[in-house]
Amino acid sequence: CALRARDSWGIFAFLCAALCNLPAVPALNGTEELGAGQSIQKTYDLTRYLEHQLRTLAGTYLNYLGPPFNEPDFNPPRLARAEQVPSATVDLDLWRGLTDNARLAANYRAYSRLLCYLRGLDGQVGTVELRHRLGHFCSSLQGLVLSIAGVMSSLGYPLPAGPAGPPAPPGAPAAPNDFLKKMDDFWLLKELQTWLWRSAKDFNRLKKKVPPAVVTLRMEARGF
Amino acid sequence: MPALLPLLLLCLRLLRAEPPAYPAVISPQDPTLLIGSSLTATCTVSADLRLRAQDLYWTLNGRRLPAASYTALGPTTLSVALARLNGSRQQSGDNLVCHSRDGGILAGSCLYVGLPPEKPVNISCWSKNMKDLTCTWAPGTEGETFLHTNYTLKYKLRWYGRDNTCQEYHTAGPYSCHIPKDLALFTPYEIWVEASNRLGVAVSDVVMLDILDVVTTDPPSDVHVSRVGDLEDQLSVRWSSPPALKDFLFQAKYQIQYRVEDSSEWKVVDDVGNQTSCRLAGLRPGTVYFVQVRCNPFGIYGSKKAGIWSDWSNPTAASTPRSERTAGGCDPKGGEQNTTLRRELKQFFGWVKKHSYGCSNLSIKLYDQWRVWLQKSHKTRNQVLPGDKL
Repeated sequence: CALRARDSWGIFAFLCAALCNLPAVPALNGTEELGAGQSIQKTYDLTRYLEHQLRTLAGTYLNYLGPPFNEPDFNPPRLARAEQVPSATVDLDLWRGLTDNARLAANYRAYSRLLCYLRGLDGQVGTVELRHRLGHFCSSLQGLVLSIAGVMSSLGYPLPAGPAGPPAPPGAPAAPNDFLKKMDDFWLLKELQTWLWRSAKDFNRLKKKVPPAVVTLRMEARGF
Repeated sequence: MPALLPLLLLCLRLLRAEPPAYPAVISPQDPTLLIGSSLTATCTVSADLRLRAQDLYWTLNGRRLPAASYTALGPTTLSVALARLNGSRQQSGDNLVCHSRDGGILAGSCLYVGLPPEKPVNISCWSKNMKDLTCTWAPGTEGETFLHTNYTLKYKLRWYGRDNTCQEYHTAGPYSCHIPKDLALFTPYEIWVEASNRLGVAVSDVVMLDILDVVTTDPPSDVHVSRVGDLEDQLSVRWSSPPALKDFLFQAKYQIQYRVEDSSEWKVVDDVGNQTSCRLAGLRPGTVYFVQVRCNPFGIYGSKKAGIWSDWSNPTAASTPRSERTAGGCDPKGGEQNTTLRRELKQFFGWVKKHSYGCSNLSIKLYDQWRVWLQKSHKTRNQVLPGDKL
């Protein structure tokens, strides 16, 4: 799904500023490590900001869906279709054992997909106010995707291939009725929330690891 | 052996206990209904679930529906009767849900209960500098339709041309649309609004207007407010006609409004005509005033209509000179006369200083000293005339 130029322009400029804002360090590998470190910090900050934004957006959206969707203990079944939304939940040991590349790639893939689904939410959705909030959130989320891409490239990792085609081709996978669509929307928001919680922990972990890790990774790349 | 493998896999797949994709089916699914109508809905559970009709219950918007309204229509089918429905609680539809006994959701249906739209009314439009057109309208009757209602503004040139649809909505409020280009002058437009929702369509009356009759423009630019010499009760306001229409504004009208700094009451000066300057009089001395100007470009290309006022210009501030009396001096007697005399003397000394040499001692201070001396002595001593110290 194509990134809209209008949305990404400001975020791209921000990213450039982030990546170019390197202190002049005479050390050999200095500049790239510091650049990656700052990018990771900025990405972490972005996830916290999005988490905060999502709380307001989700509140408004769930009220629009109406009870029982906006009830605090609501827990509908996850039907086959809802499983297309990438899940953040993962075994703890598995999570701990992820390489930096795998960790970043999982985040990148998940948010790219989630962004596409979120954009699909628009259209005839509710009030003008809700559409504005949704649009704003999508722009911020796109910024996060770009930020993760920036971290990956500054650490020398290739970007994962984009999500395989549009997630909701006309017809088949789209929810067959309005109530099921409401449940899909509910799970989309829930999954977004879980991912943002998880990403904060992912980037926190990366923050601590980056400087020595850069050297290690370079060795990996050369096949040692 | 290899040939049996796919067959084996197929069998395994069929025998594997998978939860059914949709545990139950509700009918009608997502219906649209008029307020006050009644509805009987049925929930049919999938056979694999081994649930019976008596194991089910219904909720509407999270509230459990009374068992008295249920009827079992078959071993796996439970129906519920809803009478005299109110308008939907939310525009996304009321949530009618079929549950299993433990509270789990089996299926749901969104009920859209409302009214068809009313004719939109009060269409009003304006054109900024004859370049574009913005229109606003109001939905018919205060009444809520409870359903999401779509509004479409359409327009066409009278006598010919096909229908055009406005694309940019919500530019000036929730019921507004903006047409940015390709507008023709001198031929009237027919404009109308269509409202539609799930229950029907309503079309407003057609409004006919000529772009030239609804022109508005930017506020006047370069508004300057300055004192008029030393006059304490006047300010002079000057401005330029708005640049976009300056070639056409021979008939324009202007209006000025002003207020004192700490008041919220504006005074309006209406009879400014098409001058680009005006003098405000009757003001309070030593006070800060905020002044704004606006323009009405009526009579463009001979239009006879009233025209539309622009926004007010940004407020410009200026202060009137302080009156002498309030300059902190203590002058118990004499009042007005002394003030005028004093002022004239000041002006005289200023003139003398400019036009003669060696008169550096000559100033109003001298006059003040003399007055002090005069007050101290009641007797008429040798009066030191102002010019004596030359």
